[in-house]
Amino acid sequence: MRPLTPSRILSICGLLAAVLFAAVVISLRVGAYPIGMRDIVITLFNGAIGRGDTSEFNQVIFGLRLPRIALGILVGAALSTSGAGFQALLRNPLADPYVLGVSSGAALGAMLSLIIAPHTVGAIQLAAFVGAAATIAAVYFLGRRGGQLDSATLLLAGIIAASFLSAIIIFLLTLVNGPGLRSMTFWLMGDLTAPPPTQNVLGWFGFLYFVFIVAAGAMYTTSSDLNLILTGEQEAGHLGVNVTRVKLVVYVAASVLTGLAVSVSGTIGYVGLLVPHVMRMLFGTDYRLLIPTSAIGGAIVIVLADTLGRTIVAPTELPVGAMTALAGAPVFIYLMRRRIR
Amino acid sequence: MRGNILAVSKAKRRFFASALTLACGVFACGVRNASAADVRSQHDAATTTNPAPQTAANKRAVKQVTDETGRHMAIPLNVQRVVTLAPNLTETIYALGLDGKLAGDTTYCDIPPAAKEKPHIGSPQEPSLEAIVALHPDLVLATTSINRAETADALLKIGVPVYTSDPHTMAGMLSATATIADLLGASEQGAKLVAALQQRLDTLHAALQDQPMAHVLFVVWEDPLISIGQNTFIADALRWAGAESIIVASQNWPQVSMEEVVRLQPDYIVLTSDHLEAETHEHVDNLRNRPTWSELRAVKLGHVVMASDEFTRPSPGLVDAIESLAHDLHPEVFSTSAALPAPNFSLRIVGAGLRPAPTAANARTLSQFVRERLNNEVSTCAR
Repeated sequence: MRPLTPSRILSICGLLAAVLFAAVVISLRVGAYPIGMRDIVITLFNGAIGRGDTSEFNQVIFGLRLPRIALGILVGAALSTSGAGFQALLRNPLADPYVLGVSSGAALGAMLSLIIAPHTVGAIQLAAFVGAAATIAAVYFLGRRGGQLDSATLLLAGIIAASFLSAIIIFLLTLVNGPGLRSMTFWLMGDLTAPPPTQNVLGWFGFLYFVFIVAAGAMYTTSSDLNLILTGEQEAGHLGVNVTRVKLVVYVAASVLTGLAVSVSGTIGYVGLLVPHVMRMLFGTDYRLLIPTSAIGGAIVIVLADTLGRTIVAPTELPVGAMTALAGAPVFIYLMRRRIR
Repeated sequence: MRGNILAVSKAKRRFFASALTLACGVFACGVRNASAADVRSQHDAATTTNPAPQTAANKRAVKQVTDETGRHMAIPLNVQRVVTLAPNLTETIYALGLDGKLAGDTTYCDIPPAAKEKPHIGSPQEPSLEAIVALHPDLVLATTSINRAETADALLKIGVPVYTSDPHTMAGMLSATATIADLLGASEQGAKLVAALQQRLDTLHAALQDQPMAHVLFVVWEDPLISIGQNTFIADALRWAGAESIIVASQNWPQVSMEEVVRLQPDYIVLTSDHLEAETHEHVDNLRNRPTWSELRAVKLGHVVMASDEFTRPSPGLVDAIESLAHDLHPEVFSTSAALPAPNFSLRIVGAGLRPAPTAANARTLSQFVRERLNNEVSTCAR
C-alpha cells in the first residue's frame, strides 16, 4: 500500500467531498415540489444576498430541503465517525454508535420528555442529549477496571445498560398514551423530518456543527495513536502512547457524537456500523484517513438515503432509517464479497 | 409573528445560500441546458394552476386562530384551497359539501370514493411536506387521532397554517366539524350539518336511554388483542349506541389479556372491518374455531358484530355507524322501524339506509356519498 501522505488524505477527502456535493445537488433538485435547477440557483442566490421573498420556492428550498440536507450531513457524519471510534475503542468490528447504550439513554430521555412536556419546543432534543450524557457517564463508571477503560468490560457494561434502558422504554411504551407515542415510534426508526426547535435555524445548525467539529476533531487528534493501539495496547504503551488518555478521549468523543446525532434525528441504523467498514475496504485501515472519510461517507449515505426515501414512494415518505437498512446491507455484502475474492 | 418568521428565514437563507450558491452556480452551468425545458414547464404550470399566487397573499385578510392543540396561526378569511391530512377530515369536508375547496388529501382517504381522485400528499403519518406546499393550500387540516405533531410544526414553521383538531367525544367531533365549516367560510352549512347529526344522536339517545347498556368488547386489533380506553371517541361513540366497553383503561389503545376478556364475558364482540360480507362470516367462523375465543359466551351465541371502519374515524359518517351498531345491539328497540333492512345487510354495511330521511342540503350530500359508497361496494361484491 502506498504511504499515507497529507496530500493523499486531502485528495481522497476532496474526491469524497465532490461526491457529497453531487449528492446535495441531487437532493436539492428532486422532490414532490417541482423546481428546475435554474430556479434553485436563483432562489439560493437571492437568499444569499438577502433578497429572498416568501415565495413557495423559498419555502421549499430554505424551509424544507436545505434544513433536511444540513441535518442529514451532520447526522451521517456524526454517526459514522462515532462508529469508527467505537470499533477501534472496543476492538470489535460489530461495534456501532449504539452498542454502548447511548442511543437507548437518549431514547429514554426523549420519551420522558414526550410524557412530561409533550408540547415544549426543543424539550425532546434536550432530554435526549441529557439521557445520552447520563448513559455515557454510567457506562464509563461501570466499564472501568483497575482505573482503566477495559474494552471487554466496557462492552459488557454498555450492552447491559442498553438492554436495561430498552426494557424501560418498552415498559413506558405500553403504559403511556397519546400522540407522543406516535412521535416516539418515528424517533426510534430514525427520522429527519422534525423541524429545528428554534426560529433561529442558522444558530441551531451552527451550534450542532460546532459540537460535531469539536468532538470529531478531538477524536482525530488520537488517530495516529489509535493505529498503534489497534496493533495491541501493550505495544502501543511501550511506544509511548498514553493508552488510558486516548481511550478516554475516543470514548467521550464518540459518545458525544452519537448523542448529538440521536438527539436531533432518532436512531438511524446501519450507517455508523457499515460506513466505517466500507471506507476501510476502499481506503485502508489507517485512522488518519478513516475518520475523515467515514465522516464524509456517512454524510453522503444519509443525504442519498433521505433523498431516495422521500422520492421512491412519493408522495409518502419512507423514514431515512428504513432506507439506510434497505440499501446499506446489499452494498456492504457486495463490497465484502469482492474483497474476499 | 409573521415578521419574526421573515427575519429568521432571511438569516437562514444567508447561511445556507452563502455555503451553496457559488458551488451550485458552477454546477448549474452543466445542467442548465438539460433542465431548461423542465424549468419552462414549471413556469407555465405556476401561472396556470395557481389560483392564489403567493405574491398576493400578504394583501389577503387573515384572522388569528388557536387550534385545539393550542397552536396559534393566521388563517386567510377567504380559504379557497384546503389540504386534509386524515380520512375523517376529508369525509367532513365532503359532508359539508365543500369538496370544491379540497385541493388534496391523503392516500388513506377512500370515503367518499371521489376522495380517491384528489391529488394525494402521502400517508397521514408520513406526508410529503413539499407535495403539500405544491398544492398551494390556504389551510391544512390535521387531527391528533392520526397525524404527528412534527408535521404540523414543520408546516407552521414555513408559514403554512395547519389547524389541528383533537376530538375525544362525539361532542368534540361535532364542534370540530362546526369549526372546520367556520374556517372554510361555511358556518351555515356547518351549523345545519351539526344540528342534523345532533338530532339523530338525540333521537337515538331517547330510544335507548331506558335500555340496559350492552357490554361489548371493541376489538381494534385481534392479535395481539388491542381494545380502546375510556378517553377515546370510540368509547363515547359506543355509549351513544347504547353500549359500554368492558375494558377500563386509561391508555387509549390498551393491549388486553384474553384472560380478562374471559373473566368479563362481553355481551357482544364488536369488530371493525372493511371486509366483504362473505369474509365477515368467515371471520366469525374463525373466532368460533379459535381456542379461548370459541369459549366466549358472545361467540357461542353469535353475538359478533361487524361495525364499519367508519367507527374508527371521528367524522360525520361515524353517526351512521353508531345508528347501525345501535340497531344491531338493541334490535328489540328498533324492531318496529320500517326502515330496517335485512339483518345480514345491516351487519355488513353499517349505516347505509338506516337513517331518518335527510332534511338539509348537507345531509343530502352525506346520504349521497353513503349511497356512492354502497354502489362501490356492491360493484366490489359483484366482482
